[in-house]
Amino acid sequence: MGSWLRRLTYVLRQSRHDTELREEIEAHRALRAAHMEWDGLPPERADDASRRAIGNVLLAREDARQVWLGSWDTWWQDVRYGLRTFRRNPTFTAVAIATLALGIGVNTGLFTVINAVLLRDASAPDSHELVSISQTVQGAPDLVGMDTFSTSEYFAYRDRAQTLSVAAFGNAMGEATLGGDTPRKILGTLVSCNFFAVLRQPPVLGRSFAPHDCEPGATPVVVLDHELWRTAFAADPAIVGRTIQLNRQRVTVAGVAADDTYNPSPLRAGYIAPLTAGRLLASNDTRYGNDRALWLNLLGRRQAGAGVKQVRAELDVIAAQIDREQPGRSTRLTIGPAGPALGRQTREAAMGAATVLMAAFGLVLLIACANVANLLLARGTARSQEIGIRASLGASRARVVRQLVTESVLMSLGGGLVGSVVAVWSFQTLVARAVPAMLPPWFPLALSIDVRPDGQVLSFAVVLTLATGVLFGLAPALHVSKPNLHAFMKQDAAGTGSGRRSGRLRGTLVGVQVALCMVLLIAAGLLLRGLRATYTIDPGFEYRDVALVSLESAFDGYSREEAEARRRRLVAGVEALPGVAAVAAADHKPLGDDMSPFAFRLPGESERQARIGERITVTDDYFAVLELPIVRGRAFTAEEVRRPGPAVAPAGSMTDRATPAILSETTARNLWPGGDPINRTLLSAPVDQSLNVETLQVVGVVADAQLSALGRIDPYYVYVPGDGAALLVKSRGGLAATVSGIRDAARAIDPTLLLTILPLEASLGWSRGISRTVTTLFGGLGVLALVLASVGIYGVVSYSVTGRYREIGVRMALGATPQNVLAMILRQTMRPVIAGAAVGVAGASAMSGVLTSVLFGISPADPIGLGGGALLLLGVALAAGFAAARPATRTDPTATLRNE
Amino acid sequence: MGLTNTPSDLLPGTLELLILKSLVAGPKHGYAIVEHLRVTSRDVLHIGESALYPALQRLLLNGWARSEWGLSEANRRARFYTLTAAGRKQLAGERAEFDRMVRAIQHVLEAM
Repeated sequence: MGSWLRRLTYVLRQSRHDTELREEIEAHRALRAAHMEWDGLPPERADDASRRAIGNVLLAREDARQVWLGSWDTWWQDVRYGLRTFRRNPTFTAVAIATLALGIGVNTGLFTVINAVLLRDASAPDSHELVSISQTVQGAPDLVGMDTFSTSEYFAYRDRAQTLSVAAFGNAMGEATLGGDTPRKILGTLVSCNFFAVLRQPPVLGRSFAPHDCEPGATPVVVLDHELWRTAFAADPAIVGRTIQLNRQRVTVAGVAADDTYNPSPLRAGYIAPLTAGRLLASNDTRYGNDRALWLNLLGRRQAGAGVKQVRAELDVIAAQIDREQPGRSTRLTIGPAGPALGRQTREAAMGAATVLMAAFGLVLLIACANVANLLLARGTARSQEIGIRASLGASRARVVRQLVTESVLMSLGGGLVGSVVAVWSFQTLVARAVPAMLPPWFPLALSIDVRPDGQVLSFAVVLTLATGVLFGLAPALHVSKPNLHAFMKQDAAGTGSGRRSGRLRGTLVGVQVALCMVLLIAAGLLLRGLRATYTIDPGFEYRDVALVSLESAFDGYSREEAEARRRRLVAGVEALPGVAAVAAADHKPLGDDMSPFAFRLPGESERQARIGERITVTDDYFAVLELPIVRGRAFTAEEVRRPGPAVAPAGSMTDRATPAILSETTARNLWPGGDPINRTLLSAPVDQSLNVETLQVVGVVADAQLSALGRIDPYYVYVPGDGAALLVKSRGGLAATVSGIRDAARAIDPTLLLTILPLEASLGWSRGISRTVTTLFGGLGVLALVLASVGIYGVVSYSVTGRYREIGVRMALGATPQNVLAMILRQTMRPVIAGAAVGVAGASAMSGVLTSVLFGISPADPIGLGGGALLLLGVALAAGFAAARPATRTDPTATLRNE
Repeated sequence: MGLTNTPSDLLPGTLELLILKSLVAGPKHGYAIVEHLRVTSRDVLHIGESALYPALQRLLLNGWARSEWGLSEANRRARFYTLTAAGRKQLAGERAEFDRMVRAIQHVLEAM
């Protein structure tokens, strides 16, 4: 306590204290000299001897200061010294900080997005008490769903758990039509009755759900999303208690949810309804009470005093009880923090994508580090005079290294600050623009991804910045501070004493930069080729003059019969339009990215041998509308399409009621290589319902087409007859007229009908949009890397050339031509560049496999994509070396030699 | 034993202990402390300034000594260090600890 006070007074009177100490030591020396004179030494010699005896006064004073201030003082000293150095070299500092700002900025920016999608804390109060629960079930093949729970499982956890209160909610998926003057489509979430109570986020207006709202058959009530309330109901405070139209049903508004109500999904739901309301809002929603349907996410709030371990143990017991009721079943629970991206599989997929992105962005930061390290090395050699002085005055190597690392950390703090501020600001705009481009065109709503920075973003930026400072600063600092007193004493500090050694380190750094840059450029080159492919590719089906009408959830709220009748009338109306050539339907949109995987196997094969592929139900005109030629057998008949439901046969057995099927050419070849597939049988089952086996009989083979994703021919793609929500309308007289004709026809049948009508070409545009976004991203990173690497090469070459003027002068005096000199410098420059490039190409070809999904048929070993990036980099490196080396060849040898 | 410029040549804290002891007889300036230590140690302990002054600063920091400027015997301005009550207490405690340490070292060295 007392010592702190004394410390403080010391700090306040530091300069006076220093003077006193100096005076005191000088007095000490004088006394010693007097003593020596007394002993008989002549006065001058006594003076010298006393000075020698007293030793390193500077060090003594430094040590005395240390006593008072500890290491804090020397840090502060280093900081002030570093700032002074920056002021003396403004250009150098600006270049280094700009480079680091780029490197740190892009990474912080990416982290804001990853944080928003994956890591952000739940927005509810005391969010640390919230846990998300997901399950992996084995030995129960009839269950449908991933990670989620059935209603009865939810009730079991809710009723039996003591250590936490459990709420449930479905994914924000159920599209609903909000009636009124201008009908629109919104998403909704179904939640358990206690949802708001568990979150401790009561509605800001009205009430949350009461137990009687959640009884099956209760009067339907909803809580409106805050945003929907603002936009669709003009923030009307009298909305509570009024009825609104949802899917043609009258529902009562119970309340308005708080704006920051917990939402783990990137989709924003417009309304929140009790679990029991699902069936009412969409007649085909039979998930409530169905023990086979897993669809609920569980969210728990730990009771005060209950640790995660305790909660886990209790939930495991309940899971074991559920397992006991269903012999053969085994459940594994995953319990994690309640952030965004709930569910193990979602998280894992998102984590994978995030890792690839982080790696790519990290490369840019590494290149920036290598670049600044090289700059520091070059400058460190120029500073060897100063470092020599410090060392000869008694500064230890550790002290010099600390000084230099402090400077580099300061520099990276500057870069981190500038970069992060710009990044946080620009990524908000970027995400707002890039994300819609990656959504399918028929998607009704924008995503709500909150990329605002929070504490986690701040800590990430700070840690990244500090780590960067040490990363790029340490190697040059260790190198520059190597004791070199001898060279310094010879007044040859700027000479070639450590030239070769630092040349090698600089060469390595250039090589590393080039290698990293090569990886990014090759990725960008391949992606660019992929993007080009999306424009030139022939998807194998006709997309011009075809309109895509999505009937998904268009008739929700009607009874099954009513919906069917309206649908038939709509299709008939469209078929009767003058400009319409044909109308087909399918249960999946072409290029719609919404396939559900099926397992196919031949009779006699075990389930393990099943091949995973796609199964699509189509009407008889589907092949005609998309102009897919039938290469063998026949197309479906109208009778086959009309026939209710496919015949279901017990596994393995043959029945005469097999469903007719048409295979793509590739599928036929893969199943029966060289054989005739017609009339053969095939068993199919949804991947997550392996008991639901259907026997298929092949009636035809159709040409291959890239129907599930652009650039991909599925190995197994099977068509069966049936109806679907995706209507394909072939137009004869211009697509625009057809689209407005469809709208009129729809309005005539049902004015509340909301249809999404798009040209089929928009689906291609969406695939291109993804490709364009990914390509722009990697292209941008590649260009950044290229700029950084070329600046690095230029800097290294021009530095090494400046140090070699004498040598070049001698060579030229001995008869070397400027061309000889230029060739020599370039040869030496290109050696690390080519080594780095080779490493980079090897690294890129090892990694480019992860890009396959966005390459649209371009092979990861595509020579143009690979070679283009490599040549570009080598060309730029050569140009940078040339630009830096040229001044050296213009020197006048006699002038240079005379200067020496 | 030559010039002791680094306190690490002694057991940690010993230099402070010796300085405290040398101040018991009365206030002294730095040079006088060095001389006192040299003479009383029969010319064995030559304390260098770069060890002495940091040690003196530690005494001040911990409140074991006070300092004020005065005139030395050669009529020069010098800083005189005076033992405080806390310093006396510290000296007694440290001394007991030091004795214990020395005995312990002796035991180790004499053990068979």
